[in-house]
This record gives sequence, structure tokens and C-alpha cells, in this order.
Amino acid sequence: MRVGIPRALLYYQYYPMWRTFFEGLGAEVFVSSPTTKLMLASGCSRLIAETCLPVKVFCGHVLSLANGCDCVFIPSIHSVEQKVYSCPKFIGLPDMMRATVPECPPILDPDVDVNTGKRDFYQAIYKLGRPFTRSPLKVRKAAETAWQVHQTFQRRMLSGLTPPEAIEGMFPQSVEEPEGNGSHPIFTIGLIGHPYLLYDEYVSHRLVPQLREMGVKVLSPEMVERARLRASICELVERPYWACEDEVIGAGAYYLGRGEVDGVVSVVAFGCGPDSLMIEVLQRYAKRLGKPFMQLTLDEHTAETGLMTRLEAFLDMVRRGKRPQGISPPASWSQRGGSKRGSASWVYLA
Amino acid sequence: MGIPSLGDRFAVFETMVKEHNISLVTPPVTKHTLSLGARYSPEFACLPFKGILGTFIECLEQGADTLFMVTSFNACRMGYYAKVQEQILRDLGYRFKFLRFHSSEKGLIGVLRAIKRFSNNASWPTVVSLFRLAVAKLRALDELEREVQKIRPVELEKGTADRLYREAIGAIDRATSFASLRQAMRGYFERLEQIPKDAEYAPLKVGIVGELYVVMEPFFNMNLEIELGKMGVEARRTRSTFFSEYTKWGTFLNALNDEKKELQKFAHPYLKRDVGGHGLESVGEKVRRAGDYDGIIHLAPFTCMPEVIAQNIMPFTKEGIPVLTIACDEQLGRAGMLTRVEAFVDLLERRRIGNILR
Repeated sequence: MRVGIPRALLYYQYYPMWRTFFEGLGAEVFVSSPTTKLMLASGCSRLIAETCLPVKVFCGHVLSLANGCDCVFIPSIHSVEQKVYSCPKFIGLPDMMRATVPECPPILDPDVDVNTGKRDFYQAIYKLGRPFTRSPLKVRKAAETAWQVHQTFQRRMLSGLTPPEAIEGMFPQSVEEPEGNGSHPIFTIGLIGHPYLLYDEYVSHRLVPQLREMGVKVLSPEMVERARLRASICELVERPYWACEDEVIGAGAYYLGRGEVDGVVSVVAFGCGPDSLMIEVLQRYAKRLGKPFMQLTLDEHTAETGLMTRLEAFLDMVRRGKRPQGISPPASWSQRGGSKRGSASWVYLA
Repeated sequence: MGIPSLGDRFAVFETMVKEHNISLVTPPVTKHTLSLGARYSPEFACLPFKGILGTFIECLEQGADTLFMVTSFNACRMGYYAKVQEQILRDLGYRFKFLRFHSSEKGLIGVLRAIKRFSNNASWPTVVSLFRLAVAKLRALDELEREVQKIRPVELEKGTADRLYREAIGAIDRATSFASLRQAMRGYFERLEQIPKDAEYAPLKVGIVGELYVVMEPFFNMNLEIELGKMGVEARRTRSTFFSEYTKWGTFLNALNDEKKELQKFAHPYLKRDVGGHGLESVGEKVRRAGDYDGIIHLAPFTCMPEVIAQNIMPFTKEGIPVLTIACDEQLGRAGMLTRVEAFVDLLERRRIGNILR
């Protein structure tokens, strides 16, 4: 049996685990190829315009998997920890795909919800393994190996690899060497955002490699331990509300508070609900600290040139801020802003 | 005390707290409210966030020293409004006390405890009796509105029912006892009955579904129900927007258990999971009413997460019924919206004639 996994959304967080699980059950795993212009366009054509970019990309990947797979794996992730829920789009994803991609092969859609108790969670796993094997023991073994592989995956990312690089190392697909951070970086920038935005090279216009080429040491959310992320997010907002915000807001708060980080760039998708509120909190925090902060909003119309211009301008500003003899930028520039965002011209390079 | 506005419904809240030296500031939602809210909100926040923030700012400008907001654990942004709004208002330099009612304070006891907490620890008997009166008022308002919804499209002189309804809301607000409330109600029901109506005319029936705030707040949906009435169309809202349904014994504030279960059943073939907000309700209501109504108008705030899911799924249900989705945000213009609604009504009219001929 061929199981299709779309290379989008939670792929970047859980792919090694999923793959190990299905392979442990004797299935063949098939991942859609990296996002292309055509994929995104086909995704956009199926969904209404307001839908956020990552879901459109996801839809494109599902469409590309429609032929050549026996089933497609689209889990419905309600929650991965107590009383913290995912964005509604993760919950409704399988239903949305079933409606909008009618030609899609059967969808494996386990409900992952730890709030309903362990029993339900384990049952969901057994149910997921059911089409492949009748032996619960085999499912259990596959799930345990998968969990161990997930731990290895996370450890690899902590050592400074981005998710695609870590995945590449674990399941070599091509001979391309990961570039790694440049040897003599001039700046250190905290790059925050959901992994499915940052590491989808088509959607983000190769943001990470481009930054590295500009002489920037890129620190990404995966390089921070979960516990630290959690501590930073708690400091900022008491308790997290959405599941996937640790790596955005937690990492943002963590990097903003670190001296060696020169600035923080956040990447959000147009129409992202959770980010629309959470980034506001982070922006206010950055303003209080007087740290350079820039928000990049991506959608299907984002052009690479525009993105690069903004990044260059931001880096120029960071460079001026770093010059010892120069005027202290945060204070003087924030006065010039004077609007509701206070340091608009400084923080908000629109 | 300032509270978020929700059509005419939240005024009932006043009944519960008025006796305890709390006066409620309820500025109506206007263009000014929304522009204030939009100015200080994050750019991509949804419309209810901006509307409520605007209302809060107006409340504070009018001298409110306490604000009230509902929070919850839910996937939708609504549960997190309070947190961000408080921060924005504090950064703007306002000083106030922020009361939060958490949706986990469920059931009758939880609600009563919360009211007691908000009303400076009033004695239990007053809390309970005022609460009962408020519930009665809520029920009165709902009954009245249902009646008005039926009369609007068939009344001969448009606007009569709404004039009466406005009056009635005032009277219900003023009522201080069960007796006066009952009396006022009886009077208004009689007067509503006496409105001259076109008995022959069978109006089109259009269901209004979508996110609660834009469905309930006439400013955001451009008085959609009244405008439909003028076009001779009967507007019907989802049952879950009638709050007295929440206050029935047994299902008390339990998120309208039976209704939700029923909608879940209808939505299940297409949307198996509760996606927060009112996404499930929108899909369920469409499926349930497909044979019953002539059309559905789906109101959603721009980028509303649950409604985007609903909107993506709705066109693919087997049960076919025309749906017009209107994304509401601060840019929505009255003329544009009404043109779309009129065109939609024309379409429904033709569809009905076609069905009869066939």
C-alpha cells in the first residue's frame, strides 16, 4: 500500500515520525515533491480566496498526490497538550480536503486530541494502523519506533539543522550537502515563523539560504529547546493558547531577550488567524525592549525582489544600530514614529 | 462598566447588575466605533476583535472603569481576544479593571457565581432574583423578535413592525418586575398582531448563518434582516443565536447541547469535527435547511478561521441550496452588499418560479 504524505504544514514537524510509523507497518511512503508554482496555483483554484497560504499550498500537494497513492495521510490535530488547541484549520483539514479535492484517494484522518484522554489517543493510533495490519502489537511497535525517531529528529534540529536538513540527513533523498551557517557571519538574526512557511523554499523564496548568503547567522525556532520556548512564551502571555505558537511567539520572545541576537524577523502567512493576534503581542514586546523587529507577510503574490529589498533594508538598519559611534537608533527612531505602533519606522519597515 | 455590544441582547445584562450600584455603558456600534477599533487593532485581526475593541475604547471614553469580556479555551481567536485587547488598551494609557468570564464556568452555578463576583459580592437572593428577571427578559426579547421576523416581509407598510420592536425593547429594558414585563409583552404582541398584513403573499425564506457577532450586530451586517424584510423576504436566524435557548433548564449554558448535537449530525458527512467558532453550525444548518429554506446567507468576518473552513466545504454538500457568503470587514460598503443581496434574492425568486413550473 502506498501512503501519500503532502510535503506541507505539519510535514516539517512530524515527517520522520509518520514515515517510520507507516514503514513499520509495511507500507510504502510517498512524499509529494517540493512546492512548485503549478502546485500552488492548483491549490488556489480549489479553495476560496480568503483561505490562508499554507492551506492553499497543502491543497496543491494533496492534488499532486491524487494519482499514484492508495491513501493520503491527513491527520486532524486537535491538541498535542492539555488545554492548548491547534488552529481550527488543522482540525478541519481532512474535512476541507475531502470536500475540495473529490478525486483524492481515501484519506487517513486520525483525530489527535490529548484532551480527551490517553485511551482515545491510543485508540486513534490503533485505528490508523488497522488498514495495514490486524495485529495491535505490530502497530504498537511501529508507534514506539516512530516516537524514538521523532526524538532523534528533534535532537538533530537542536544541534542547528533546519527541519529539511535534518530530514535529509535521516532519509537521504538527494546528494545535496546542507550548507550550514556561514563561517563568518556578520549578524545574528532570529528568524521566527511556522516551519511550513520558513522551510518551504518556494513559498518563502529560499529565505534561509538567502539570509545566509547575506552573511547572516540564522537562528530558527527549532534550535531552542521546547522547555525554553515554553518558559519564554509563559513570561510573555502567561499561558499559550494555540499549539503551534511556541515556535513563533516563544522563539520570538526568547531571541528578543538574548543579547547576541541583533534582530528578529518574523514570517507570517496572509490570513493566519493565530499569528494575527500573537504577533501583535510580540511586536509590543519588541518595542518595549527596543530591539529591531520586522514582520514579513507572505501570500501567493509575494515577489522575491520585494522580499529581498525589505530584508536588505532591515539588515542595513541593524548594521547602523550596531555601529558603536552612531546614535543609539532605538530611542531616536522610535520618537520619529509617533504613531500607534510607536516605533513604526524602526520596527515596521513596511 | 463597559461590555461588548451584541445587537440588543447584552442590554439584558444591565438588569443583573443595575441594582448593585453598577451602571452599564453601552454605546451603540457606529462607524466611529469601528474606525477606532480598526486603528488600534492588529491589521489582520478579525472584525469582531476590532468592533469590540472600538466599543471598549468608547466605553472608557464615556467614563467606564471596568470592562467585561468572555474568554474560552477554543480553537477560535475569540477566546484570546481579552488578553490582547487588555494589552492594547493599557498601552493606550487607559486605567480600568478587566473582568473576564471564562467559558469553563459552566452551568447555572458557575454563571451565578460569576455574576456575584462581578456585582461587588451582592447577596445571593438579589443575585438570583435579578438573574431570573434577566432570563425572562431575554426570553421575551427572543419571542418578540421571532414574531417580528415573520411580520417584516408581509406587513403592508414597511417598518411598522420594527418601530414597534424598538419601542418594545425600551419597555422590556424598563420593566422591573415579572408582572410589568408580562404586561408590556402582552400589549406589544397584540399590537404586532394588528399590523395590516398581506395574507396572500408567501415570502421567500432565507436562513442567516455564520459567526455570531456579525450575525447579531446590525451595524456589521448592514441591518440585513430589516433590508431583507423590505425586499419581502423572511429572514431566519440559526436557533443558537436566540439566547433564551441557552437558558432553558437542563441545558443551562451548556453550549446549546441538543441543538449542537443535531447540527453535528447534519454536518457529519462533510465536517466531522468541531472547528471552533460557528463553522460547524454553518455547515450543519445549511444541510439541515436545504429542503426547507429558499436560500442561505452566510455571514463571516474576513479571515475568520472556522467560517473559512465552512465556506470551503459548503459548496460541496449533496444537499443543494443557494448560499451567498459575505465576508464582513471594515471595508464592507452598504450599497455593494445590498446589491449582492438583491441579486441573490432575484436568483432565489427565479429558482422558485422554475421549481413551480417544473
